[in-house]
Amino acid sequence: MKYQGSLPQHNDNVSHEHPLKDFLLILGGLGAVGVLAFWLLGFAVDWAVDGLSPQAEARLNSVAAVNLPASPKQETKRGERVQDLLTGMQQCAGLNVIPRLRMHQSPVPNAAVVPGGTIIVFTGLLDRVQSENGLAFVLAHELAHIGNRDHLRALGRGIVLFGISAVLTGSDSGVSALLAPAAHLGTAKYSREREALADARALQILNCRYGHAGGATELFEALKKADADVSGLSHYLASHPSMQARIDALARTISTQGMPVRAVRPL
Amino acid sequence: MIELVITLSFWGVPILLGYFFGRAAEAKHFRSIAQREEASVHLPTTSAKAPIGTGPIERSELVHGSVVVSIDYFKRALAALRTIIGGPVKSHESLLDRARREAVLRMKESCPGADEIINLRLETCPIANNVAGDVGSVEVLAYGTAVYFAHP
Repeated sequence: MKYQGSLPQHNDNVSHEHPLKDFLLILGGLGAVGVLAFWLLGFAVDWAVDGLSPQAEARLNSVAAVNLPASPKQETKRGERVQDLLTGMQQCAGLNVIPRLRMHQSPVPNAAVVPGGTIIVFTGLLDRVQSENGLAFVLAHELAHIGNRDHLRALGRGIVLFGISAVLTGSDSGVSALLAPAAHLGTAKYSREREALADARALQILNCRYGHAGGATELFEALKKADADVSGLSHYLASHPSMQARIDALARTISTQGMPVRAVRPL
Repeated sequence: MIELVITLSFWGVPILLGYFFGRAAEAKHFRSIAQREEASVHLPTTSAKAPIGTGPIERSELVHGSVVVSIDYFKRALAALRTIIGGPVKSHESLLDRARREAVLRMKESCPGADEIINLRLETCPIANNVAGDVGSVEVLAYGTAVYFAHP
């Protein structure tokens, strides 16, 4: 046997395809599957939440309730005032239970609903609003979230998102971080829609409680300056519509439905 | 917005760095391998147990060459995506091809006076980082018997 020293003409042990092609193909495919699954399961969550009986909702709220720190002592008086406002609007909001309230010491002007249906009011909100009607609109917005069961929707979607990323990527591969931006876009758009709905419903509650829609845009007007940088791309990522968009939408509804706008009550 | 940018850069920057530096290093390594294989093609290397050449053997010795090549973030990301859907991990093929050929070359270069190398064997071993289940780099070891014929 004669040995012939030679080099192979062609390397068959490696793929000669461009590696980026593989990368983008798999990433795009998985991203598309994830987004589609999230979209479909999001509809399933909406369908399930809409179909919940009030009893089931109450049960779910007690299961999902998070332990919150008690309201600060020095806020007891203001807390009672806010609770009175909430109680006054309960009937208009169409709720059969009075939501619990927690005050939170913070300079941020904000209010939120946490899983379990408790409303958290940041003390910064009380410092920023000028009238009872202005504060009532913000509280009505949170009541609208509870009425629309948005905290349950958010909870359901959170579980769906977590489930999809865990199934697609395993627990610690980090691929979920790569797919997160796409999911974030979908979540942000949905969130803006829910916020707009809550604003519209809050306007009805305010009009029902006070007989006019005065003070509805008060806080948004006050916060508009800080919101000036929201433009371009960041709009698509924001969880809430821009202040101007919310003011415009409220003004449109007030004029189309012919709601009266009268003087506001001082706080 | 800012957290999105941070999340993206945590994944994107290492992958981009891995892609550009990894591709450049791989192309350079392949050029070097091709050149040195050309230069060492005169040294017969087989996996046979007996020498091809005939005549009295003056001496023989164990020779080996080993190399450790690191994976880059791009290859790792591509492999991570592959673990979900399966299929050939093409990004690792070139890595192992380089390591195999480099190990054989180093073995050949360790015995410049040999007439041939027989009984060539290749072994490979992953060298994991501290993270469990994470392949950081790969070692390939080539070993064989260098044969020196008696030259009158």
